[in-house]
Parts: sequence; structure tokens; C-alpha cells
Amino acid sequence: MLDVARQAVEAAAAAGADYADGRVVADDSESLTVRNQAMEGIDRSSSEGIGIRVLVDGYWGFAATARLEPAEIERTAALAVEIARAAARLPRDPVRLAEVEPVTGSWHSPMQEDPFHVPLEEKVALLMEATRRMQQIPGVTFAEGGIDLNRRRTHLATSEGTAIEQTSVHTGAGIEAVALGDGEMQRRSFPNSFRGHVAAAGWEHVQKIGLIDEAERTGTEAVELLRAPECPSEVTTLVLDSGQMELQIHESIGHPVELDRVLGMEEAYAGSSFVRPEDRGRLRYASDLVSITADATLPGGLGSFGWDDEGVPAQRTPIIVDGVFQDFISSRETASVLDLPSSGAMRADGWQNLPLIRMTNISIEPREGSLADLIGDTDDGVFMSTNTSWSIDDKRVNFQFGCEIAWRIKNGRLVQMYRNPNYTGITTEFWGSCDAVGGREDWTLWGTPNCGKGQPGQTARVGHGAAPARFRGVRVGVRG
Amino acid sequence: MPGPVGPDRVREVAAAALEIPGADDVEVLFLHEWGGLTRFASSAIHQSTWREDTGLRVRVVAGDRIGVAGTNDFSETGARAAAESAREMADVVAPDPLFPGLAPADRLEDESGFDQATASTGPERRADGVAALVGACSNGFAAAGAFETMGSEVAVANTNGQFCWAPRTMASLTTVVTGGEGGSGFAEVFAAGVDELDPGAIGRRAAAKAEASQRPRDLEPGRYPVVLEPSAVSTLVGFLAWIGFGGRLIAEGRSCLSGRHGERVAADSVTIYDDAREPGTLGIPFDFEGVPRSRVELIDRGVFHDGVYDRRTARLAGKDPTGHALPPPNPEGPFPLNLFMAPGDASLEEMISSVEHGLLVTRFHYTNVVHPVESTVTGMTRDGTFLIRDGEIAHPVKNLRFTQSILESLQATTMVGRDTELASEFFFSASRVPALKVESFQFTGGSDH
Repeated sequence: MLDVARQAVEAAAAAGADYADGRVVADDSESLTVRNQAMEGIDRSSSEGIGIRVLVDGYWGFAATARLEPAEIERTAALAVEIARAAARLPRDPVRLAEVEPVTGSWHSPMQEDPFHVPLEEKVALLMEATRRMQQIPGVTFAEGGIDLNRRRTHLATSEGTAIEQTSVHTGAGIEAVALGDGEMQRRSFPNSFRGHVAAAGWEHVQKIGLIDEAERTGTEAVELLRAPECPSEVTTLVLDSGQMELQIHESIGHPVELDRVLGMEEAYAGSSFVRPEDRGRLRYASDLVSITADATLPGGLGSFGWDDEGVPAQRTPIIVDGVFQDFISSRETASVLDLPSSGAMRADGWQNLPLIRMTNISIEPREGSLADLIGDTDDGVFMSTNTSWSIDDKRVNFQFGCEIAWRIKNGRLVQMYRNPNYTGITTEFWGSCDAVGGREDWTLWGTPNCGKGQPGQTARVGHGAAPARFRGVRVGVRG
Repeated sequence: MPGPVGPDRVREVAAAALEIPGADDVEVLFLHEWGGLTRFASSAIHQSTWREDTGLRVRVVAGDRIGVAGTNDFSETGARAAAESAREMADVVAPDPLFPGLAPADRLEDESGFDQATASTGPERRADGVAALVGACSNGFAAAGAFETMGSEVAVANTNGQFCWAPRTMASLTTVVTGGEGGSGFAEVFAAGVDELDPGAIGRRAAAKAEASQRPRDLEPGRYPVVLEPSAVSTLVGFLAWIGFGGRLIAEGRSCLSGRHGERVAADSVTIYDDAREPGTLGIPFDFEGVPRSRVELIDRGVFHDGVYDRRTARLAGKDPTGHALPPPNPEGPFPLNLFMAPGDASLEEMISSVEHGLLVTRFHYTNVVHPVESTVTGMTRDGTFLIRDGEIAHPVKNLRFTQSILESLQATTMVGRDTELASEFFFSASRVPALKVESFQFTGGSDH
């Protein structure tokens, strides 16, 4: 397929492109869902095509087709050039690309057992048993389990001489129990909400999750939540588990430090950012305990790769060091605006889409202690676990997140379960109130396979390493 | 020039899947999309794209076991391979005791929603449209947004003899204008044809709102009467569809409308229905399992009537399917894609002039569900939020967070706008809704801009 990508680059150059890249992508996926011992869905999909991106006189053009025959490649490359020329009808500063050394090579995400080769019977049996154990808990109305597999093969060639091929395999699984009663609906998930825990790994990842072992507790907590009181409305100390910290990092740090947002390129759709270019090295984003790193080299991360979709090598970028904002995640185009090298964060959702700046694996650096230590060290507060909903404003300042479950902390112990917990805050105030970050023992590299951005809409698969953490003076229990 | 492949070629390719041995029944869903999207920011085009893709989703039935496979290889070879993969899955998976069988034959071909000029719009026309929109901005202001033109084609064929096919087109232009001393304005238009868009007018509307939004002031959160423009209303209606109107949610007790058939859930002035065939939406006359779409009265003069159903959910609930299936396997169940809220008789100015102390909201941003059974959602205002005092716009205010039950807001609706606009909250769906005046709307926080 590298030959097809190279042909696209040559055709674009012949049509007048100053720069061109051709990216052939083949996606395969498999998804199974079981609910209450019945098959809700089983689905395999495949998609293959090429996206051709060009620069003509400093203007971008992009065209994509599913048909890989030579005449169609030529037609699509010429169309990409025509699109770039049309863009020049509105004058702008020509796009400049930060320098990158051309590379050749291949990369494969780590994997022990190919999940696509595991018999369907084994997958169905796992989900049947896990959901059976949840369903046998009195009061569980729906017991659901799912497995999701994704494989992406990418071949990228550029007019600068880069020629690379990469394969990523992502594997995930999770269970969920729903209890209904008295006008309430309560849900518990394991190991995380929204179909569980996805990693860049093989079937061994599913075997380690422990769906069957945790099924009974998951179902029991869903039922107990029906009888639990509402999370009170108050300003208090908040402890978040690793799963909720994943989402907190994603929305209030990951997105605001995307340099395309900062430069206004996403203004009309998902919004921009409160962070400004001049904030590098100056903005007090969080307390001294908070250090955040973007790392595309982490084994197992959904945001890991050998090179991004511009051929920039995977790298580790400090985002926040001891509470102070350091750097953005960037592309060749946006980095050049600040006279910086690209951080290597350009990725596209399949062959159909233009690469955009996407999070890699954006993680909080672990500090000290377990989740139990953190709770044990808290006199009074609320502990929340497992995300259910998220909302944040168009500059990533005001947020409100909901969780599946919470407990009152009194004198270092969990004394009372609460249902429908949520909390709200202002990004820098909230992160500035962080006075404890857990250690490596409860730090988990989570996968977020559903990050939306761009027009046409794209979905990215990104990673977040997260430890539990504690925040002071947080408003919880927001009511409508 | 890209265009529909047409029903004859779809039949040929589908036949390769429908004829595979070893299956009791087979269904083929064909989806074809092509088009361009010109994206702009800082009043210049920064991302301009074009793409074309075809998709086949093949559902194979073996007894009460179902397998689904998808491919974008639109050929006899691709269709056959997908069917064989689906059959392999159907052979080994657990049964689905609720599976009602495939749709019966009820042939339908409809080209009425297809506009050749839109389907073949080139990047030059979109660029010129963006230039006209940008030209409406004053000095010190800049526009961002997207101008999209696309064609699509949907077909369903199955071994019961059902075949339906419909090509469609869609054009949309959305913009946010920013600048000056803080403040922004928004406008968007969705239509079936590109000729229905007036880029200059869209730019002028957003620019005027951006200029009126300058120097927004802080406002204490709390309960206020609000006038919601159609874009904001479409968010509430879209989320109500997501958490309320699906027949599966209703039947399983997970909807905010479960068990409330015949009950008053909104003010008399509120009527919401789904109708893919009514002019003014972008509907396809059949669903993704080949059932003709019916008009469904969801809330009729404030009273909840019923939700929408696909074939499986209809069997679960003991109802007739209404033609609202999404593509298989779709564990979430049916969804209304072509919502309407019936207009009233008030102008936007009349609604504003009736408010003593309240807010005018242009649109909402990043809304999400807080409590589905109570229909409570949260989100932010964006691109034009104004304080109304003594019936007049007093000044812009900084963006506010709301946490509010949708059904309670519909119960507190006292005025309904006479004009409607088509707006899209979710991909593939659109709602045609008016502005509303709601007497009490809960704002729970604020932002700094």
C-alpha cells in the first residue's frame, strides 16, 4: 500500500502541489454486546481508502476516496489541488510547516494474542457469564457486557520522502448493571463507564480486566444506589478516583492545550481555549503537585504510535510541570506559528479525514500513596467514582461532571453512599486546589476511544494515565 | 462528477449478499455519501475537504441468531464477503429471542429530496460563499465556520423482496463571528439545496449579534425567565429525543416518559412530532431496516402520546413499528431523526418585550445529561446571551451554565414563536423548531467570557 500512497503523492505533485502526503488506511473492527443473556449485537466492519493532502501556494486542500485504482487516485489528487486553489480566493498568510526529518520504517502496537483470532464463542461465553453474575443480584434490571476490537493499518508517504507503515490494535471490554425503581435509574460500570477499558493491547488485556470477578460487586452497587440518598449540595473536599480523573484531565487540560484551538482554528465548533500562546512557562495552571505529560511512546496507550500522521516521531512533551503550564500539543503548521518544532500530535480518523491535533496519552504524573491512603488522610469530604456525564464551556473554563457513585468520607473512612453525584468548577481554580495526587499503585493508563473534534466530525482514540487525587473547596451536588 | 450510483446497480451488488447459501434471511443496507466541506477561521479558509465513501451493512439471520458485517467495498465481492462474515457470526452467537424478522416488501423509491446543483457543488462556490459571509463582518471582527454541501444515497434490500432507495442532498453554513472587546455571534442555516443559503445574510446576522455582544457583564446565576432562540430550543428537543422518545427506552422504563402515556408533560402550546416526509426537514421516507417512516405525534398540545419504534422494539412493546430504526445492530433502539415543534403565534420581539427581568439565549454549548429520568441536562450558553430588562435588551452577559429539566422547561413554556428554523443537535438528525419563552430556567454557574 505504500506504492499507492506514493502514487498519490506523485499525482498531486504533477497536478501542481508544492507539498503532498498520501495516507492509505485500512480499519477493521469487531463489537459484541450481550444484555440479560441475549445477544444485543455482533458486528464486524472494515473500511479502506486513501486521503490525499496537499499544499498549493500555502493553502491546504484534501480529498479522499475509497477506490484505490490508479485513475481514481489521479482524479482525487487533482481534486485536492483544485480545492487548495479555491481556498486561495480568501487571502491569508501562507501555511508554513515546521521542519521534520523524512523517515522510513514500520511500527506495531504491543500485543501478545491477536484478539481478532480469539473464537467468537469464547468472547460470547465471557460476556454471558459476567452478565449472568450481575443479573442474579436481586434488583438488577439490566446486565450488559461488551467487547470492542479495532485494528488500524496506516501507510503514509510524503513528498518530502517519508514512507512509513504502522499497525495499532486496540482491545476493550466492560460490564454495566442498571437498576430501576421508584422513578430512579442507577448504573454501575466496571472497570469504567462507556464500554469499559480499552488499551493498545491484545486479548491478554481482556483476560486481566476481571469482568467475571467484579460482576457481583458491580450489580450490588447499582442496586444499593437506588436506596442511597442524593449527594448533598455543598462546598467540600473532593476525592476523585483514577477513572474520573481520566475525564477531568481530558476535558480541562487535554483539550485546552491543543494549539489549533488556541489559534482559533476550532472556534466555530468545539470552541477555543483560555490558554494563550504567551502563557508558555508562565501560567499557573494547577498546584505544585500537578505535573501533566503528553507521551505518545507509552506502551498500551490508545494515543501511542511510531509517528503521527505527518510523519513526526512519537515524543514525550511536558504540558504542566509542578503546576506551571509549559507547552502545547501541536502540528507542523501550528508549531511553525510559534517557531517551535511539532510535538507530533496530528492524527486523522480513518482515511476519510484530514489530520487534526489530537491528544496522545495525556497523563498526570503519579506522586505518593494509594487511593486508600488518600481517603484515609481526609477528615471530611466526598469521594466520587466513574464518570457519567461531562460538560465544559467553549473556552474550557467552567465545567460540570457527573459520576456514577459517591461516598461521604468521615475521619478517613467511607461512611455513606450517595447517588447522582456531580461537581462543578473553574479549570485553573479547581486544579489549583489539588492538594494530593496518588502514587503509581493506583495510576491507570485509561483509553478514551470516543474523543470528538472537527468538521466533518472525527473521533479519536486517546489515552490518559490517571491517579486518584484530592481537591479542596469544591462545589458538589448541583441540582436543576 | 460524483452522483448516485442508482437503484439498478445497488440491486446488482445487494443480490450477491442476498443469495448466499446457509442463511434464512438477509438484509443489505447501502449508504453512499459524497461532498465537500470548506472550513474557515480568522476569516480565511484553513481546512477544505472532499470525500466519497460507500458502505454496505449486511444482516444475516439464522433462526433467531443474527450477525451483522459492514464493508466499504461496494462490489459483488465485497457484499458477498460481508454476508459470509455475518453468517459466520450468526452461526455461533447467542440467540435474540425478540428478533421479529426482516421488513416485508413495500417498495419505495423517492428522488424528491435530491438537488443536482448541491450534489455537484465545487470548492470554488463554497469559497465564494465564505468570502461573502466574511465580507459581512466589520473591521475588528472575524468569522469562523463551515460551509458543507453533500449528496447521499440510502437503500435497503432484503430477502422478503423489500427494496427502497432514496438519494438526498444537504447544504449547511454555520458561523461564529468574534472580535471587538469580547463577545461573539452565531448563525447557521441547514437546507436541502445550496441555492437556499444566503451566505451574506448569514454573515450579517452573526456579525450583528457579535457587535451586540460586546463587553458582556457578569450575572448572578439563579432562576430567570428566558427567551430561547431556535438553536437553543433544538438542543432541548434533541436531548429529549435522545433520553425520552425512543420506544425501547420507554418500554424498558428508562425514559423520562416511561409510563406517562396520555399524561400532561408540557404546556398546551407545546406540540412535538416526527415526520420525515414533511417539507422543511431533510428526511428519508424509510428507515434503516426498510420500514416506511410514519408521522408520529410525540407530545400533542402538551400531552405525551407515544415514542418511536423499530421492528424489534415494537415487538417488545406490543406496538406497530413506526419506521425509526437506526443501522443494525443498534443496541440503543429507535430514534426520531426528523423532529418538528409546532410553531405558535409570537414574534421574537413580542417574547422579549414580555419579559420583565430575564435572559435571551442564542444557543447552548456542550450539553449533556445529568439525570435522564428527570430529563435534567446541563450545558453552557454561547455566542450571544443578553439580559432583558423591562421588555428590552439591556446588555450582554457572560456565558452561564444551566442545569435544568427539559420537561419542566416545556411545562413552563408560555409563548411559542411563529417562525421555525432547522437546526441539528446530533449527527444525521435535525429539528425544525421555533423560539420559546420559558418562565423559569435554572442557571447554576457562570464563566469568564
